[in-house]
Amino acid sequence: MLILAHPRTPSERSQAAQPEPAIPLPEPRAADQVRLVGGALSLLFLAVAGQLASLAWKAESMVSAAMVEPVATSFSRPDIVDRNGRLLATDVEVHSLYADPARVLDADEAIEKLAALLPGLDEADLRKSLSDGSKRFVWVRRGLTPKVAQTVHDLGLPGFGFRKELRRAYPLGALAGHVLGRVDADNKGIAGVEAYIDEHVGIDAVHATRPSDRAPVRLSIDMAVQAGLEAELADAMARYQTVSAGALLMDAKSGEIVAAASLPRVEPARAADVTDQAKRDRLQSGTYELGSIFKLMTIAMALDRKQATLGTMVDVRVPLNVGRFEIKDLHPAGRPLSVSEIFIHSSNVGAAMLALEAGTPAQKEFLARAGLVSEMTTEAGTVAVPRTPNHWDRAETITIAYGHGLAVAPLQFAAGAAALVNGGMSVVPTYLVRSAASGAPPVTRVISEATSRDIRTLMRANVTDASGTGRRADVEGYEVGGKTGTADIAGPRGYRQGGVISSFFAAFPMSSPRYVALVLLFEPKPSAETGGKVLAGLTAAPVAAGIMRRIGPLLDLPNKSGAQR
Amino acid sequence: MHTLTLAAAFLALSSAVLLYGLNYDTRLIEQRVQAGERAADRARNDIALLRAERAHLARPERIEPLARAQGLQPTLARQFVSRATPARLADADSAR
Repeated sequence: MLILAHPRTPSERSQAAQPEPAIPLPEPRAADQVRLVGGALSLLFLAVAGQLASLAWKAESMVSAAMVEPVATSFSRPDIVDRNGRLLATDVEVHSLYADPARVLDADEAIEKLAALLPGLDEADLRKSLSDGSKRFVWVRRGLTPKVAQTVHDLGLPGFGFRKELRRAYPLGALAGHVLGRVDADNKGIAGVEAYIDEHVGIDAVHATRPSDRAPVRLSIDMAVQAGLEAELADAMARYQTVSAGALLMDAKSGEIVAAASLPRVEPARAADVTDQAKRDRLQSGTYELGSIFKLMTIAMALDRKQATLGTMVDVRVPLNVGRFEIKDLHPAGRPLSVSEIFIHSSNVGAAMLALEAGTPAQKEFLARAGLVSEMTTEAGTVAVPRTPNHWDRAETITIAYGHGLAVAPLQFAAGAAALVNGGMSVVPTYLVRSAASGAPPVTRVISEATSRDIRTLMRANVTDASGTGRRADVEGYEVGGKTGTADIAGPRGYRQGGVISSFFAAFPMSSPRYVALVLLFEPKPSAETGGKVLAGLTAAPVAAGIMRRIGPLLDLPNKSGAQR
Repeated sequence: MHTLTLAAAFLALSSAVLLYGLNYDTRLIEQRVQAGERAADRARNDIALLRAERAHLARPERIEPLARAQGLQPTLARQFVSRATPARLADADSAR
């Protein structure tokens, strides 16, 4: 190339001046070659530049593709916080011990040493796993604390190693355990709000132990109110020696559940707790015949249909027979009762007569409108489906009027009854804070504004009236109203003797209810304090009062007692 | 032409050196970024653990007995006063 481009000498130039037409000159050819090579090089450079540009353009996707791992070790989950942002559940890094059976030198010695450090280690199972030479990976124990992990590490056992994993931690122990639910060994939600997070919020598969970047899931639960409610319930369980107990506090309009507890409690971190039948969630996963608190529905129906007013007199002395049974009142009045009195004295006969007057179709329609016969779901899972009678006729209409023959989950009843006091609009219970973004679910009118006012009057009177069944539920300053219920427990062969579900449904402040509360005591035992009786007015009502007294100051409520001072 | 060729050769050589250096620097920065990310992850894990520990220490079940041991008890409704009350108290004070 250099030769081709060599400049011509003066002698060559003089030769060029003479005509030599037969021989073609080399110059044009050399120039062509230079252009050709130059062009090729330019093309090459252009191609390289193009490739560089395209690489730069695609860089991001290429990198992320390279980072995808075939197997994620665990899942990172968003934190769960209460309505005030206090932590209820979070992911923490833990060390999990594994073994490579092919590299374990002395399995017996290793198992012996490990068993001393890890209580509850299944030695036989581990020995079996370690003797299986075909396996290259066996979990020994997952979720060790850093201290234990260090001690195991210091043993220097060959063939054993650690993997860092994310593990769900519940710093408050069993608080709101039923609501939170539980996760499995891979940090995937399998019950309660944890399962809801998997389905509706999202979790991330992670290879490293990197906590979730997702915004925390904010529950409607208030940790302080929940703690107060659980403490009061635990006291009640001890005082009345109940089998179990449940209580919930719900916003009467938005349906946000501020506290919900079922005792005995479960610890989300303990798998055995969650599967224990004795510790099942009484509020949501079981249906019960709730007894007299159902009269709220019967009387609301009668008032809303305008078949009666609060002053309408009903002759409750008329004998009322269902088959060979006669419906009786616990304390027969021996005179006609007004609708108000039927409510306050909790007259079975009165409620039954009101329901009979309305008729079975009207009762079915009303209970459907109140949402007590349809399926319900909350973020903590599916609510147990209401058990309605297969054959729903006169006899069933009578028994359902005072709360027998139709079994619903207490949570579902509370939502239905909240509509009776909040001005008549249906309530959809939720464990999440209703934000402007999530919006309120569509609500329907259950009863009229006027009927709701009447129900509020009745519930308040039942607490303030000297003969009211709910008089022990009164709490100074909160204008409490409520209805008691003492229900026999249905067994496989009719109703069981002795055992009852004692319940109290409350709302406060009664002039414009902000909250509704439901308290249930399962099989309270009679004591000297209750005069040898297990009636709800003597058991559930004072427990409800204790709960409201305890949590009232934590709620944002106008306080009447303060104004009086 | 000669000068151009020399210049091109020089450019090619120097850009090669430059690229080599750049590549080296990039890897160094990449390592530093990775180390930074690891440190951030460690810090995030530590923060998560500390938050969980703080929540665990502040759990109502632990605080309640401690508070009761101090002679404290849950607030009662009558401990709240309405807005009108302080004004009345102020009037009483000025009258004295």
